[in-house]
Amino acid sequence: MSLIVLGVNHRTAPIEVRERLSISESHSEAFLTSVRSIQGVRGAALLSTCNRVEIVVSSDDEDVIEPVIDHLRHDADLDRATLENHLYVLRNGEVVRHLFRVASGLDSMILGEPQIGGQVRQAYQFASTHGMLDPVLQQLFDATLRAARRVRTETGISEHAVSIPYAAVELARKIFGDLKGLEVVLAGAGKIGELTAQHLSGFGLKSIFVANRAFVRATELAHRFGGEAIRFEDLESRLFTSDILIASTTAPHFILNAEDVERAMVSRRRRSLFLIDLSVPRNLDPAIAAVEGAYLYNIDDLADVAQANREKRQGKTNAAEELIAREADGFLRKLAGHDAVPTILELQSRLEQIRKNELEKCLRRLGPITTHQQEAVEMLSTSIINKVLHYPILRLKESAADSKPEERESLRNTIRKIFGIG
Amino acid sequence: MSPLTSLHIAVTLYALGTLSVLAALYNRSKRLQQLALGLMAAGFISHTVWIGTVCARTDHPPLTNLPEIAAFLAWTIFAVELFLFVRYRVHAAAFVVYPLILMLMLITTVLREPFAPGDVALDSKLFVAHLLLSTLGLAVLLIGLAFTVLYHLQERALKTKKQGAFFEWIPSLQLCELLSYRAMAIGFAIYTLGIVAGILWSFRTTSGLFNPRAKEIGAVAAWLIFAFILQSHAAGSYRTSKTILLSLAAFFSIVVAIFGIQHV
Repeated sequence: MSLIVLGVNHRTAPIEVRERLSISESHSEAFLTSVRSIQGVRGAALLSTCNRVEIVVSSDDEDVIEPVIDHLRHDADLDRATLENHLYVLRNGEVVRHLFRVASGLDSMILGEPQIGGQVRQAYQFASTHGMLDPVLQQLFDATLRAARRVRTETGISEHAVSIPYAAVELARKIFGDLKGLEVVLAGAGKIGELTAQHLSGFGLKSIFVANRAFVRATELAHRFGGEAIRFEDLESRLFTSDILIASTTAPHFILNAEDVERAMVSRRRRSLFLIDLSVPRNLDPAIAAVEGAYLYNIDDLADVAQANREKRQGKTNAAEELIAREADGFLRKLAGHDAVPTILELQSRLEQIRKNELEKCLRRLGPITTHQQEAVEMLSTSIINKVLHYPILRLKESAADSKPEERESLRNTIRKIFGIG
Repeated sequence: MSPLTSLHIAVTLYALGTLSVLAALYNRSKRLQQLALGLMAAGFISHTVWIGTVCARTDHPPLTNLPEIAAFLAWTIFAVELFLFVRYRVHAAAFVVYPLILMLMLITTVLREPFAPGDVALDSKLFVAHLLLSTLGLAVLLIGLAFTVLYHLQERALKTKKQGAFFEWIPSLQLCELLSYRAMAIGFAIYTLGIVAGILWSFRTTSGLFNPRAKEIGAVAAWLIFAFILQSHAAGSYRTSKTILLSLAAFFSIVVAIFGIQHV
């Protein structure tokens, strides 16, 4: 039995190739059905995201690789050379470790990003609901999701925000805790400011006010966030009640200075105020940082936070890799143990057959005996068979746990030959 | 089992818990933090057994001398910390509270005195109320101080934009302020009742309201300073460095009050 992954990702293939290979959800079922129909394929699943396209296959042997590549090539309408330049093929243990790393975000463009875990789960659910998985792939995906969950909870690799808008949200949560019920003011219509406001709006804010020199644009933006447009001149007075200000205008000067903020802080009895300046040139006077209760972060400060967080995530990779190696080893052992089961069953069945035949002959030869005597003879034969089977079964189980696939296969073949199985 | 055995087990477990929590801070490991909590909780159980044994043997709560009061204060602090942990899931106070508990328990172990026989003073319900309320009030106030320290550490990290070792562990400024304020308000009320009970008892037994001894001076100074801190919460000037100085002064006053205790 083999496990195989064929795929491309953001490191091996440019976007032009990835978009050709990308498989939409509506086409996924047809694609998987045709892969499944290849002779020798027992189960198949597909992971298609913007950064990777991977087909996970369990099969009788590795002969299925070429047909699957051909299938992929035809589907994407790519020539073989182009595909082979970017395609990677992983086998057995590599597949397990790779899937565990992918689902944990260790193979992602942004290290530790949490979305990939959900995408792997979706791929698993899709394949499972459409009957594309065999028991081995079912177990593999279960183990993958379990490993990813352990990596995230035990190493905290996904915990730190690594983009500027998320870094701003993370800081807001460090100041206010729950963002529910807060008031946010967005000044200006810069793209990154808009994105930050959008992230914040997902936390159940009480209201978002949008101020812009062009009131029409403010109204448009406010409509998008379900907020309220305000006149730019009312910005300062809005600070009296708001909790977060995002400044993202194109103004070549400060729109608020320390005195404005100090006045607001007195009026709000020093309740915390988070000021995010995403503009270049800066919109908020740096002297605001010295005002008691005001927390001012400009775009460079946020970029530094994001960079420091990236380094924190990087620092956690060793622990995550170790955990994945342990989980993968455990899963491979379990899988190998399952591989030994058919041989053990056949061995037991073969010897039981011998025992029954010989017992029958023996009883015929003995002639009439009491039930008690018959039970004693049966017990003796069963006991001999169990003793004979003890070491071969033990060795099979041990080899399943410890040895290499070739050694396991060789031991199984030897035992089969010795006992005349198959 | 000798009562000392449960005390020594408690101190050992508290020491291991404190070491684990400091290691968790260094390694940023949540598992170590959980281990520390487990060790402290186990120590707390052994500590409770010790308190129960003292109560059973002497027929009064372990409040007759400095070592007993230190141990009882440590026990109460951990009980409050455990309650806050269950209620708010805040791990960070442990970095301040666990070493404090260990320190108090070391006082008990080092200055250990034989169990005092039933003291006449402890027959007075007013006096027992004074001891229990003052100890509980102080425990809650100390937890409030721990959150004040955390608040100022976090506020400094946010202002200077330098995330130190505590940044990830400490909850939001708002939660630190809320817990600090609530703990101080509740602790202050209980502590005030304890002091009033003490004054009344003193008046009944010695016809004096106040004896200018170290423990009384420390206790009243702590009460006044906590009143100032509470006022700064209400006035919105809580985040100034004055609060940190006041907190240090409050802690020092508590230390004076505790070390001023010899025998009831």
